[in-house]
Amino acid sequence: MKGGWNWFWKGGSILLLAYVIVRGFSTPLQPGLVSATPSQLTIAGQSVILTAVGQPFAETEDLPEAFEVVLRSGDQLIQTEVLEVSPHSVKISVNIPPSMPSRALDAYLFTPASGTLFLGNACFVEEAAKGDVPPAFIAGAPLPKAPELGFSFPYQPNIMESIRNLLWHVPMWFAMFFIMGLGFVASLAQLRTDSIQWDMRAEAAVKTGLVFGLLGLATGSLWARWTWGAWWVSDPQLNGALVTVLLYSGYLILRAAMGDDDRVGRLAAVYNVFAFVMLVILLMVLPRYTESLHPGKDGNPGFNSYDLDNSLRAVFYPAVIGWGALCYWMYTLRLRMNRCTHHLLSR
Amino acid sequence: MNALLLLNSLEGFFFGSGKAHVVTGVALIILAGLALSLWRMDRRLGKLEEEARTDSH
Repeated sequence: MKGGWNWFWKGGSILLLAYVIVRGFSTPLQPGLVSATPSQLTIAGQSVILTAVGQPFAETEDLPEAFEVVLRSGDQLIQTEVLEVSPHSVKISVNIPPSMPSRALDAYLFTPASGTLFLGNACFVEEAAKGDVPPAFIAGAPLPKAPELGFSFPYQPNIMESIRNLLWHVPMWFAMFFIMGLGFVASLAQLRTDSIQWDMRAEAAVKTGLVFGLLGLATGSLWARWTWGAWWVSDPQLNGALVTVLLYSGYLILRAAMGDDDRVGRLAAVYNVFAFVMLVILLMVLPRYTESLHPGKDGNPGFNSYDLDNSLRAVFYPAVIGWGALCYWMYTLRLRMNRCTHHLLSR
Repeated sequence: MNALLLLNSLEGFFFGSGKAHVVTGVALIILAGLALSLWRMDRRLGKLEEEARTDSH
């Protein structure tokens, strides 16, 4: 019975991760506007092309009349006419008024199937005077249409397709937290009982957790390169993650340096308790009090309705369980290996 | 193609060219390899533990 349960959760973790990989890479991204061409406009009638990424927001046979585009300057809307529509772009004609509250124009594209697409600071009008938009140029209140999006991941500016990395990067850190927490408990128990069994558990947890910590750093660095344009930025969250991994590396160095010394278990346990407290401070407390590019910082929760939608949750939660179970499997293997080694050495 | 797409050539190209399926396939192969190696390690450790139990009796 126990063997059956063991293979059930181990196999389950692999099946969950297979589901995450297939679902994560095959789910389309909701459409989102990325650019307006030209972005510098003059006070005259002219045409602008708005381009989107993600799944198509229009069919090739759709009529332009079904779509609506308005440009917003301050709190006033400027009317446009939709000339052409293609699956990933829309061409509009717009008369730029001589005066407007702001020279920066935001674009809103209302689509029948994909809802409202938004692009902030889509265009700029250098020569426009400061003032209200003349009544002849003002658009009527648009009627947003309810989107009929299927199973798709939310579009986030800058992140775009790389939102799929959420299914790798974040669950890997969760798994690391989980297993380092186990190591922390094992070290406390080791200090209380002075039992080598708890020491072996703590060592196995730190070794496994470090693997996931390094994977978390690697996937985070890749993500940073794509969204922020640099492999590493000096940020409290990123630096805290690196320091945490280095701290736990110190745990292994300490053990290796002490060799067969009888005190290694207790000293390593004290170090591990200290390292876990530092992990909580560096990754969960300090970044919340500082400004950061990393989501969930500056006092905001990590995941909210803006970051996640139900489609993403349907893949993200299995990813958390799958990576967590895989991490625990690796931990049990490392622990059993430690026990076998101890048994052989003590014969 | 707009400036952003030219700058970040992965965007659009990834799904438009069918490369997403290649990435999915490679990731699944890596996962299968990892699962196989963990399973083999699990079985070997089981045998070692069995031998250790026999030794101690």
